[in-house]
Amino acid sequence: MLFSGIPFLYYFLPCTLALYFLAPKGLKNTVLLAMSLLFYAWGEPRYVLLMAAVIAVGYVFGLLIGRTRGTGAAKLFLTAAVTTFLAILGWFKYSGFFAENFEALTGVALAIPKVALPIGISFYTFQIMSYTVDVYRGDTAAQKNPVTLAAYTAMFPQLIAGPIVRYVDVEKQLEHRTHSVAKASAGVRRFTLGLAKKILIANALGELCDIFRASDDKSVLFYWMYAVAFMLHIYFDFSGYSDMAIGLGKIFGMDFMENFNYPYISRSVTEFWRRWHMSLGSWFRDYVYIPLGGNRRGTARQLFNIFVVWMLTGLWHGAAWNFVVWGLFFAVLLVIEKLFLLKHLNRVPALSHIYVLFAVLVSFVIFNAADMTQAMGDIGGLFGAGSIALSSTEAVYELRNYGFILLIAIIGATPLPKMAATRLQETEGGAKVLAVAEPVVLVALLLVMTAYLVDGSFNPFLYFRF
Amino acid sequence: MKKNKDLAVLLLTGAVMLSLALFAWFSPAKQYSDSERRALALFPALNSETVLDGSFTKDFETYSQDQFPLRESFRRLKALSVRYLFRQKSNNDIYVADGHVSKLEYPLQENMLDHAAGRFNHIYEMFLAGADVKTYFSIVPDKNYFLAEANGYPALDYKELVALMRSKTEQMTYVDLFYLLSQEDYYRTDTHWRQECIRDVAAELAAAMGAQHSGEFTEVTLDVPFYGVYTGQSALPLKPDALTYLTSDVLEAAKVQYLGDDGFWREGSIYDLAAAEGKDPYDLFLSGAEALITIENPLAETDKELVIFRDSFGSSITPLLLEGYAKITVVDIRYIQSDFIGAFLQFDEQDVLFLYSTMMLNSSTALK
Repeated sequence: MLFSGIPFLYYFLPCTLALYFLAPKGLKNTVLLAMSLLFYAWGEPRYVLLMAAVIAVGYVFGLLIGRTRGTGAAKLFLTAAVTTFLAILGWFKYSGFFAENFEALTGVALAIPKVALPIGISFYTFQIMSYTVDVYRGDTAAQKNPVTLAAYTAMFPQLIAGPIVRYVDVEKQLEHRTHSVAKASAGVRRFTLGLAKKILIANALGELCDIFRASDDKSVLFYWMYAVAFMLHIYFDFSGYSDMAIGLGKIFGMDFMENFNYPYISRSVTEFWRRWHMSLGSWFRDYVYIPLGGNRRGTARQLFNIFVVWMLTGLWHGAAWNFVVWGLFFAVLLVIEKLFLLKHLNRVPALSHIYVLFAVLVSFVIFNAADMTQAMGDIGGLFGAGSIALSSTEAVYELRNYGFILLIAIIGATPLPKMAATRLQETEGGAKVLAVAEPVVLVALLLVMTAYLVDGSFNPFLYFRF
Repeated sequence: MKKNKDLAVLLLTGAVMLSLALFAWFSPAKQYSDSERRALALFPALNSETVLDGSFTKDFETYSQDQFPLRESFRRLKALSVRYLFRQKSNNDIYVADGHVSKLEYPLQENMLDHAAGRFNHIYEMFLAGADVKTYFSIVPDKNYFLAEANGYPALDYKELVALMRSKTEQMTYVDLFYLLSQEDYYRTDTHWRQECIRDVAAELAAAMGAQHSGEFTEVTLDVPFYGVYTGQSALPLKPDALTYLTSDVLEAAKVQYLGDDGFWREGSIYDLAAAEGKDPYDLFLSGAEALITIENPLAETDKELVIFRDSFGSSITPLLLEGYAKITVVDIRYIQSDFIGAFLQFDEQDVLFLYSTMMLNSSTALK
């Protein structure tokens, strides 16, 4: 089920809220779990069992690791758990990719059945995997209540597109959380703004990307419009989803970690990755990079670790070579920055912004390509490769058609709107205006978004495929 | 103040969402959307099979959109937001320019032209090649020819379209109509041309085919507002067009027969006044979508016959050509397979006109 759909907003959510707030405290997690399973089953009825199996494995191994902590058996159980999770993820997400490349290399076709990718599998396996590792490390106790662990793993606000919530971060809230008007109001505000980012901005920019891809009238201008539009589209799509997840979490009394912090204002790629998909970046740092030795075993080993982490980050996003190249592209930039560039970037703020935006733009062109051939063609198109025209009728029209939305998106990707609202709030008159305007604007946004949904068609989130 | 604001946010958003939700759950389902001219999705079948194969959830999504309360008002709100809030030039490819509403038709699809020409040539080879008939071909430009490029919208390469179609139908005599038309000759809210504005087009076709054409008609304007097909599609608040038809002694004396779905002929009239008050008022002209129509002219001063292969643009111009013929047969190969035409029609000593709009040629899959 999509947050940005009529079934969620006007059927699922009202029912869930009613059941949740009517349920006694001891049953709230049960209600949350039941509704989360329904939410997942809506899109993936068959794969509910797979998710249940993953949770069961996590639960059992969590208990076993907890009971044997400090002994060799705990390590054995952890290895078994992680191997199981990776095997499940590997089978459903990477077996086709492996078979395809194995055949290309050896000419031998492997009889691996084609399986549909279960929605959100990368998110929930990473969450349950980190739980078992945290129990092993002693960062948390094993959860004895299977409903609580299942409610954590399957919690619908963050189930299928993150942020990747760690068990240790919400452990206490799973058992004891408070609900308040202030928190729920903040949640509604955050959810509505996230929904607006998705429906009003990201979807429109997605349309522009689709128009570009279908066009036979490509030009250098059109390639740049596409690249900029996709860069903004993926930001508003994904950060919009994260806002909705965080907002819903607050309504249910939970505090999820932030996932984005205006990444496009970064002055280095290193900084960009501290601001983009922060829950994934910190997950790889804590569960892959640091266990590999991080920066503690000399420069050569550190560089190797960076490449491993970024290759895996690329693969996490998708089982295709363009995702691997996308990850390694960032690895190269991060290594260059670490070795010498970072100190120079700080001295030239304007240039450093341009460098980051260009690098990220190119990276997302690679990311969004169907394959590496298309990626190279798209990058070439940015520079007029193939003797294409500088401009075209269609490009100029689409620039006029989507120009204002692009402008809103560019401003919206910076902290300027938030800063303006904060300044207004700090003045006495401004605070009074906001007190009236904010509820009205939120309702107006809700109505306009409903109008888009009623008029629109199915439009899934990008990160569902990961 | 913050406490009040938080409470206001919760109460207002909650009230709006809950009201709409309750309305959505308990409103009776509507069967048809007049503005979009289509059946609305109803509650999908719910059983283990539809749940497991995912069709229930997919169909429920469509159902929830189609049956949402105040659907038309929400569609209008979206159209207005797109136009005025986000300054977009079109909504669902519908745009407004020079007071006209139109739908983007772009780019030129050569495979569609190939298909259309293929159907025409198939009919030519099957029925016309050996017969004593004169064959003509003409293209009706859609509104975008006048509106799109002039207002900065992408447009078909009309020159290329005409050149390609002419090169693929060389055995037919081409009659150019483009230079006779302007945007004023079309309804503001509909795709079609206005019958009262195409007398010169009828005269041109009649002259090209050597048929008599006095051009004497009486205008009758109906007292019903004509909200064309783009009114519903655009969802914008638009003023209606006026619906005018042309009549004459010849047209009033005409005997019209329509081929029914059951294979039997039924009598009808040139102008279907009941249809003018229906869901698609343009059906006034020859009753809209019909596979085969014969129109006999008892006042004819000639025994010439005309066969017109046409799309909906042909509905309004055909009556204007009747004066020059004893009989006109109107064929729409969107609704009858080309191969079956021989069962209803003998080709011998006739004028045969293929009259199609650029929209149909550029999206010709419906031609059978």
